[in-house]
Amino acid sequence: MSTVAVPSRAPRPGSPTPSAGALQKAAHHGVRWWYAVLVAIMAWGLAAWIDELNVGLAATGMRDVVSWGIYIFTFAFFIGLSAGGLIMASSAEVFGIKALKPLSRLGVLSAAACVSVAALMIIPDLGQPFRILNLFVHPNWSSPLVWDILIITVYFVFSVVDLTVLHRHARADAEEGHGTRAARLRTVVRVLAYVGLPTAVLLHSVTAWIFGVQIARAWWNTSLMAPLFVVSAVLSGTALVTLLALLAERFGKVSLPEETRRWLRGFIVVSLFIDLFFVGADYITMLWGNVPSERSALNLVLPGGSWSWLFWLEWIVGGLVPLALLLVPRLRRQQWSLWAAALLAMVGVYAFRIELVVVGFVNPLTQFPPGNALGTYNPSASSFQLVGAYHPTWVEYGIVAGLAGLFAAIVTVGYRRLDVMGTAVGAGPLLGPPPADAASRREPQLPEPGALGASVAS
Amino acid sequence: MVIDTNRCVGCWTCAVACKEINDEPLGYWWNRVLTTAPNQSTAAKAPASENIDVPYGVYPNVELAYLPVACQQCNDAPCVKVCPVQATFRREDGVVLVDYERCIGCRYCMAACPYGVRIFNWGDGERAPGGVIGYGKDYRVDGRLVFAPVRPKGVVEKCTLCVERIDEGQVPFCVESCPLGARVFGDLNDPSSDVSRLVRDGGAQQLHPELGTDPNVYYLPVARRVAAES
Repeated sequence: MSTVAVPSRAPRPGSPTPSAGALQKAAHHGVRWWYAVLVAIMAWGLAAWIDELNVGLAATGMRDVVSWGIYIFTFAFFIGLSAGGLIMASSAEVFGIKALKPLSRLGVLSAAACVSVAALMIIPDLGQPFRILNLFVHPNWSSPLVWDILIITVYFVFSVVDLTVLHRHARADAEEGHGTRAARLRTVVRVLAYVGLPTAVLLHSVTAWIFGVQIARAWWNTSLMAPLFVVSAVLSGTALVTLLALLAERFGKVSLPEETRRWLRGFIVVSLFIDLFFVGADYITMLWGNVPSERSALNLVLPGGSWSWLFWLEWIVGGLVPLALLLVPRLRRQQWSLWAAALLAMVGVYAFRIELVVVGFVNPLTQFPPGNALGTYNPSASSFQLVGAYHPTWVEYGIVAGLAGLFAAIVTVGYRRLDVMGTAVGAGPLLGPPPADAASRREPQLPEPGALGASVAS
Repeated sequence: MVIDTNRCVGCWTCAVACKEINDEPLGYWWNRVLTTAPNQSTAAKAPASENIDVPYGVYPNVELAYLPVACQQCNDAPCVKVCPVQATFRREDGVVLVDYERCIGCRYCMAACPYGVRIFNWGDGERAPGGVIGYGKDYRVDGRLVFAPVRPKGVVEKCTLCVERIDEGQVPFCVESCPLGARVFGDLNDPSSDVSRLVRDGGAQQLHPELGTDPNVYYLPVARRVAAES
């Protein structure tokens, strides 16, 4: 990825005004800087990984009590982003949500980028990364991890195929209008959407079962895990596609119709409600049952516990604040409220992933003094840890940042090469605000409001 | 294996012996002696302290017991079920082992183990000067490397039940070294063996029996004689 060429784009017909040319030049310049920054971040990540290969995982903040860390919860986060993006994109087709169709290629592009990054995120977490082929040579079919690797592979191939077909269909549509080739591809697009929706749900469910089926971790062991993962995937995936679409609007030549914004708001609000409802229901169950192994984990998260900052991020910063931004009429009308809410919702989901993975480890099921052996030696401290602690190191931050940079690079290159929104949304004003008459056009464009749209209908 | 918690005095001899025979690096403990209250095989109470040997309760009503914990050699071992590459496997006689040549170091087994007995080689283990002091040779079961004096970094290791010793008719080193004879080793499938008798008649319990992992390590409760005498 380090030698990304800046793709040249033919100027679109109807926009060769002098000011547009200057703006395009400026944008071209900005893109170079953007690629330079991304390459620098990816180089940092690569250097950090080489360091980790030399030192071993001792270079990380993980130890024997908290034995999974930032790689795993970021992996789960990216899987969620990926599944959510595709669920959103496929829903547009499966449930006939016209307003979301312009975003379907962006959603699939984001899904493909996220699943690649998530798959790569596992590799630095492995103690013996060069034995990774053992996963295919000696698979153990009772391990949820094997199924997860399988579904990730299938899903990655699927999202690439889907993106290709969507791209071809859009091109055929543009070239020959509604010709036979376009019609044939149209059928394939529909079929792929019907396959993609369950695949995406399955992808995140299997990832949830990595955690949910474990009897050793009371914090994980709930049948709610898969539904919770799926709904948080829809939330974070939609939020990500929203952010990308708004970025495209800011830097590209597209404008999002108000109708599309309404559907995005609706998806975020409804999935955020369900997400908080599930998490809350889980809390109630644990509080009522008062089982020591569950309470010892829950107490860490609830206000007053040592991990309660995650609670505030999840419930307030990533919960009530985005809900208010999207539901309170005066806030909802602000241009910034949608991207702020999307960003905060993603922060909340990331906090949930941290909470899930790390808090599950902090209090082991068999917890008596002196605790678990740490697996490393520090002359000035105990070799044991009763209550787990975890502080990621710069190596871990570097690798995660590098892979996040890779995600940004894939999306940028994909966006520019495949023109995932340009023709689909329709020619809006160049780098300008959405058409002033968008509000007046809104009502007549409205198809019958579905359940999701109704919740945010003004 | 049966461990008589009524005999255990918390001297950690078994833990140190384990470190010796297996050349466990500094900060690695395959076998630990946990400080608990009597007859408390599962974590119903919060730990009394971060330190060992601190009794539970308030003076004068204090109580103290020890729980030596290494791999429980489960019949339905979660680590075997979750290992994605079949590196952790259960031998026919019930010993759960790790193939150091196959383990990819994903540490899923550590997340799955209810007993926290697995140790990961985060880096190259540090050892006290003096070289190899334990068994000192590679040991293979069905061609699979289940013991090596120096384990490579990036793999998970744990108690092997001294598989290299029991295959030659010896008892595990913790059993041999226990100064109080608190550990008894034998064949649980043989109804006439000492371990079978202790499990049958002594009221021996498994750790976290409610999880259904069905460990092959049993603990004789502290208070059984008191109960029998009264």
